[in-house]
Amino acid sequence: MKDGKEKWARVRIRLIGGLFAFFFAITSARAFYLQVINKEQLIKLADKQHQKIVPLTPVRGAIYDRNSAELAVSIDMDSCYAEPRNMENIREAAARLAPVLGIARETLEKKLTGSRHFVWLQRRITPDIVKKIKDLEIEGVGFVKESKRFYPHSEMASHVIGFTGVDPEGLEGIELKYDATILGNTGYLVTERDALGRDIALKGTVVKSASRGHNVTLTLDKNIQYIAEKELAKAVESCGAKGGIALVMEPESGKVLAMANYPGFNPNSYFRYQPGLLRNRSIADSFEPGSTFKVFLVAAALEERAVTPRDGFNCENGSYSIGGRTIHDTHKYGHLSVAEVLKYSSNIGAAKIGSRLGQDRLYGYLKKFGFGEKSGIDLPGEAGGHLRDKSQWFGVDLATISFGQGVSSTSIQLAAAISAVANGGLLMKPFVVETITDENGNALQQFSPQARQRVISPETASIVAKMMEGVTVEGGTGAAAAVEGYRVAGKTGTAQKVDPVTRGYSVDKRTASFIGFVPADKPRLTILVVIDEPKTSPYGGVVAAPAFGAIALQSLCYLKVPPGKSERTKHEKNVVKAVEPSEMAAEGTIDEGTEGGVMPDFRGMSMRHVLRSMEKKGLNVKLIGSGRAVEQNPQPGRKIGASDRVWVKFAPAA
Amino acid sequence: MLDRRLITNFDWTLIGLVLLISAIGVLNIYSASASYKVIGAPYALKQCYWILTGLVLIVIVCSVDYHLLEDVAYWFYGVVLALLVVVLVAGKTSMGATRWLHLGFINIQPSEPMKIVIIMAFARFFAGFPVLRKLTIRDILYPLLLLGGPALLIMKQPDLGTAILVILVASSMMLYVGVRWTALVSVFLTALPVFYLGWQRYLRDYQKARILNFLDPERDPLGSGYHIIQSEIAVGSGGLSGKGFLHGTQTQLRFLPEQHTDFAFSVFSEEWGFIGCLVMLCLYFFLILWGLQIAGRCNDRFGSLMAVGVTAMLFWHMVINVGMVIGLFPVVGVPLPFFSYGGTSMVTSMVGVGILLNVSMRRFMF
Repeated sequence: MKDGKEKWARVRIRLIGGLFAFFFAITSARAFYLQVINKEQLIKLADKQHQKIVPLTPVRGAIYDRNSAELAVSIDMDSCYAEPRNMENIREAAARLAPVLGIARETLEKKLTGSRHFVWLQRRITPDIVKKIKDLEIEGVGFVKESKRFYPHSEMASHVIGFTGVDPEGLEGIELKYDATILGNTGYLVTERDALGRDIALKGTVVKSASRGHNVTLTLDKNIQYIAEKELAKAVESCGAKGGIALVMEPESGKVLAMANYPGFNPNSYFRYQPGLLRNRSIADSFEPGSTFKVFLVAAALEERAVTPRDGFNCENGSYSIGGRTIHDTHKYGHLSVAEVLKYSSNIGAAKIGSRLGQDRLYGYLKKFGFGEKSGIDLPGEAGGHLRDKSQWFGVDLATISFGQGVSSTSIQLAAAISAVANGGLLMKPFVVETITDENGNALQQFSPQARQRVISPETASIVAKMMEGVTVEGGTGAAAAVEGYRVAGKTGTAQKVDPVTRGYSVDKRTASFIGFVPADKPRLTILVVIDEPKTSPYGGVVAAPAFGAIALQSLCYLKVPPGKSERTKHEKNVVKAVEPSEMAAEGTIDEGTEGGVMPDFRGMSMRHVLRSMEKKGLNVKLIGSGRAVEQNPQPGRKIGASDRVWVKFAPAA
Repeated sequence: MLDRRLITNFDWTLIGLVLLISAIGVLNIYSASASYKVIGAPYALKQCYWILTGLVLIVIVCSVDYHLLEDVAYWFYGVVLALLVVVLVAGKTSMGATRWLHLGFINIQPSEPMKIVIIMAFARFFAGFPVLRKLTIRDILYPLLLLGGPALLIMKQPDLGTAILVILVASSMMLYVGVRWTALVSVFLTALPVFYLGWQRYLRDYQKARILNFLDPERDPLGSGYHIIQSEIAVGSGGLSGKGFLHGTQTQLRFLPEQHTDFAFSVFSEEWGFIGCLVMLCLYFFLILWGLQIAGRCNDRFGSLMAVGVTAMLFWHMVINVGMVIGLFPVVGVPLPFFSYGGTSMVTSMVGVGILLNVSMRRFMF
């Protein structure tokens, strides 16, 4: 009986044990489900409950010049915040913080006692103030790193680079145009909060998911930009002008190497300037180009064979009536060739060339040169200038447009159009952004030069270029733009400004400009200088051309462009009046005193001349060095023996 | 009364297990209340005092031979039942429930000792029963009356958790004795209309809401469903290995309700993860198996029944509490023995352990 009883009890206990074990199994399974299988979702729910998120300033990528010099960078600075719920004594904290932050105590106290759990005290503060705040050791005050935009070169290229607001969205220039590229992901400051919504600084705060924006590399060259800005400033100040623009472009590609506006501004404190000063006037403002337009007129007329280089025009001694208006030249000219019309900038000559070409063709070419529409440069706020449709040209319009009146253009349009003459006839789209790179410097996007259309043939382009060289030699309107050792092609421009009040031409306000390219035979740079309202002299050849020359010389030296083959000799200066300059001059010199078998006097001649005359004589001469001939063997007038070693030494022009 | 044999037979494993669980409980309460700004002694320290009180009670309970309890079982039952009636008439009402008796120097909650005395009364009743015979409906009529009185009184307080617990403990004991299928079916058939009536007439709105919310926590995520959702989030976000001691975000930021009392295990699960959770469950399971082993080894029926009853009491507390924390059961205010903060629960559980030890060390005596 006892055994049976014990066995019975054991069975019943096992039964109960089994029931209990079953419940344990269910409980463990449920725990497994929650903590292992369903974990992710519940963790997310938990985070959502206890984390409070404050957006931080995204970090913007850098802007570099084409040699990777930093033009705009983002630097880390401390931002200071307060969590009022964690503060022991808000009144006291406010009283201690106020003098350090430079805020009135009452304002600060009000800020802290509001309903908000997170209050920015001051964002992006300097290290010394950070230290002062830290030294106060106030509970509930914390710091987080935020980026601040900094422009290390201050004013340099400020109109191109632009600037950013506090948020920091791009407001102008590249910063605006490429905002989406440069702007990084918004990071978040994650603080923890409890069930009552109080922020708890348990383990400090963490920053999540902030990522840097992409970097932008510009076509600008810091050094050329500096040169352009410096020379522009000098030019504007020396003639007491209102302002000015200088552009340097690569004619082959359309890359903008320098874009300067004077007066400039410091993008680090852009808010201190008048809004008007922040505008990139080289793309946003159009003006009457004046005589620089004659280049395009001549190019079109030559391309269309409406005129030939040999044609001459009667310039009516400076006064010519057409369509009920009288056109004047600054000086009285009689008969001028096409090249001379450019060289002396004769309005009457231009009007006559224009009438040969006709308004349909002139209009068509001006359109092809890009006037009347935006150049398409990758900068915001570009204006398109104004070119009336040819159906709206009346009376004297064909004549005046021929010399650049009654049309308007931006500086970038003019520079692009002149580049088309320089590069053999292709209108390139100007651009300032070359590469977009990621944080690690890997290229994400590369911008290549884009030709918009062919405007004129290479032959026409080279004839026009040669004619433009005439402008910068002695006697030309732009002689002041001459660059020692290089051939310079250019054109002056002087235009009356339109008076906004009378809506007629202003009596005294002028826009003086000089535009051209160097070296003329193998152009590397297109340079434009525009001086707005010069006081000393209204002429582009006087106020703008020297700046052009200075920018050209310094930029060419910087780019290590070798000087040309001493074109700027006295001979040459004489030849300009004749249509074919250098050859005639050269031959003239070489023919003098040259007999067979006698060593000519090469001294002072360029290498090209030496070679040409040697060819004539069948001499085999060793050429040493470059530049201008300084020494020779045998001496001039000596007979050349068969075994004589014949050589000419050259040295660069001083 | 405590001779040498009793000392040699003292169940050190059981008391060791209980103290281990209690110690983990204290640490957990420390973490759960770390974010509180408490005036006076912190919860963890107070819990230590309660454990010490419990140990004193164990010594007292052990010092009396449990066989003597058989004679006074009905008396004890009668006294506690009377106290329950007094509570209904003159109890102290707090938070919508009348559970406490104000006795001047001390407040007592008669429903707690009822858990113990119902075990004694049932053990007394079934001890006289012939073994090897399953209970018929007639056999369980008196026990059902013994159970029905206190169960209804407690439900009326209202204290659904304790009432369910008392019923479950008593039922477990009947299961141990053995009930015929016919009896089970008839009880079930009578219980259905009683449940219906109880739902309609006795259950308070908050109790109904708790049950409905258990079935669908999203019904009221900010109200009474909040407890279940928050607890599940805390437990689940602990993951496999937990967030670490004092590092449970939901706990430290106080998203958990009643986290040092009823939801203490939720805190533990969040900070120690599934691994910690499983270790704790195993400790409890070991404790339960140990209790059943004591019941199995006991030679007399009264002692064996008492051991089963106490084990069942600890077990159901544990299952209901953990089940509530992890969303298996509705939220009923049942603490986790030795783990949740609270003197009442600690005293009841320790007295239960005292009974188990008493039965264990006197198993060779007749």
